[in-house]
Amino acid sequence: MRLQVPLLITFLGGVFMAVQFFVPHELGQTAFAELLNWGRIVAAFALVLGIQSLLRTHIEKIRRQREDWHYSAVAIAAFVLMVVIGIGFGHGEGSGFDWLFRHVQVPLDATMFALLAFFIASAAFRTFRARSTEATLLLVAAIIVMLGRVPSTLLVIFGDTGAGQWLHATMPDVSEWIMNFPTVAGKRGILFGVALGSIATALRIILGIERSHLGGGGGGE
Amino acid sequence: MKTTRLWAIGLSVLLAAPLCLAQAGLPTNLQAADDPEEPRGTQMIVSWDAPEEPLQIPGMEMIGHRILVRRVDAEEWQPSPLVPPDATSAPVADLKPWPWPEWEIGIRPEYQLAGAPAAVFRTMGWPMTSTVAAPVAEVGPVRPEGNWFNTDYTNVLVLTLLFCTIVIATIYYVRGRAEEIYIRPIAGLEAVNDAIGRATEMGKPIVYVSGLTGIGDVATIAAMLILGHLARRSAAYETEVLVPCQDPLVMATEREIVRQAYTEAGKPDAYRPESIFFVTDSQFGYVAAVDGIMLREKPAACFYMGYFFAEALILAETGNQTGAIQIAGTDADTQLPFFITACDYTLMGEELYAASAYLSRQPLLVAQLRGQDIAKTLIAALLIATVAAATYAAVATGALADAAAQLVQWFTV
Repeated sequence: MRLQVPLLITFLGGVFMAVQFFVPHELGQTAFAELLNWGRIVAAFALVLGIQSLLRTHIEKIRRQREDWHYSAVAIAAFVLMVVIGIGFGHGEGSGFDWLFRHVQVPLDATMFALLAFFIASAAFRTFRARSTEATLLLVAAIIVMLGRVPSTLLVIFGDTGAGQWLHATMPDVSEWIMNFPTVAGKRGILFGVALGSIATALRIILGIERSHLGGGGGGE
Repeated sequence: MKTTRLWAIGLSVLLAAPLCLAQAGLPTNLQAADDPEEPRGTQMIVSWDAPEEPLQIPGMEMIGHRILVRRVDAEEWQPSPLVPPDATSAPVADLKPWPWPEWEIGIRPEYQLAGAPAAVFRTMGWPMTSTVAAPVAEVGPVRPEGNWFNTDYTNVLVLTLLFCTIVIATIYYVRGRAEEIYIRPIAGLEAVNDAIGRATEMGKPIVYVSGLTGIGDVATIAAMLILGHLARRSAAYETEVLVPCQDPLVMATEREIVRQAYTEAGKPDAYRPESIFFVTDSQFGYVAAVDGIMLREKPAACFYMGYFFAEALILAETGNQTGAIQIAGTDADTQLPFFITACDYTLMGEELYAASAYLSRQPLLVAQLRGQDIAKTLIAALLIATVAAATYAAVATGALADAAAQLVQWFTV
């Protein structure tokens, strides 16, 4: 019973979601919207679990004074501050909550995002070492694409010579060709596999073949 | 305000009187039919015949027709936007098809002051428009008809059913001899045991990140299935698995999966729910927290399974700097190059979905993999056939070329 009921709910929900994709009737779309609302309600209750987990993790860390516990104190203080300001003084445009969001969280997010530039540089340096045929091909393709994106670099390297002009005119087209044909072909191959894999995964969960998420071994007989 | 209301009432009475007396100058033959272009069944097309000689009211000009709608069990008419005077049909939206109650639809002309009185009214800021309350023509009860099948998706339905049939039939026929089925070795999954062994030997935890999409994404579900297998194996060695979550629902589900895995491994007491914890739903806040955990805990192994966005490389590079063995798996084609660059092993696209079958070797799951491969071969054949058909349709003429073009068209969504 503990296994059958979730399996039945999964089956009915999965079949309904698959069928409603093909049914444009208002009845089906209303039921679909209603199910999504149920999902939002469940997610709202789950958020309580999330907050409980967050507070428990950090309070425990402070209590035991684990390494870098001060950051946990900052996290809890920030959480309490945002809750008090948001609930107590509103969170509309121009409110203190809005100010904190725009002037603290957004810059912090941007700072983390900016790290990506440096990580791309370090990752590219490791990857573009021509240690094998594949890595060499990757290196050559990357150089062509980079030069094709900024063709004026070629004029700086080769000067205003015939070769420089020719490369300046040709390289963007070669770069576009690499991006539009070999790259897209590879991506579509991956996407085909992803689409089939996701349908197959959905199918085996709907049919109850895959049960490991319910706790019953890797798959069911 | 009181004067304004008096003027409005007076005008209504003045307008209603000639309207009631002169029905001949009003729209006739009011009809309502389902809008075939609107598949949900919430719209009808209302049509009427324009009067040969429109009703003329001295001092006023007709500004259009107002379509009125009400449920059969309702008293009040609900007005729709004004239709231009020369129009003879208009759509009426926001109706509900079966099984909702039926509708009645009415129409009435609307007039506005014109000439000298209009100037006085405009100067005074009084309402310029007046109407009768009731429609002059009604039709009903009527009800729009929704479509129960979107014919634009016939090809999607046929191919989906074909794919599902192949997979289910293969499972049925192959499950008895699933152990004979060859599964291509996937280095990333072969390395899972090495990663657990390394963590056990070093006495360091494993960090498991299950993507940044919610529980509604199949990639997240695939990631949770892999977590179940990983937890079952690591539980046997009592190796800690840290699972920072970006979604509380994912956290709750993963706790259940890991708890069950520890129970199945015979180590229910070793299960620590606090190892699976919610961090934040902010994308880069989550990245900052996970990076901090990796730098502090120095995990022996890091797993990144599921769907990722711009944070993929930040996570993987940080893990790389800590010296952890890293295994990633994603169906996000834009993030695959970053994982391939920064991780030791990467499951590409469908390998993520095959991982559960690969790790468990359950007969049904392995048989399903075989079915998936057969369907993929069929789709590749269809792909080649439609490319050939499209090429032929582009270079040739005649009945065969038209048939080829129609075949290609059928596959176009």
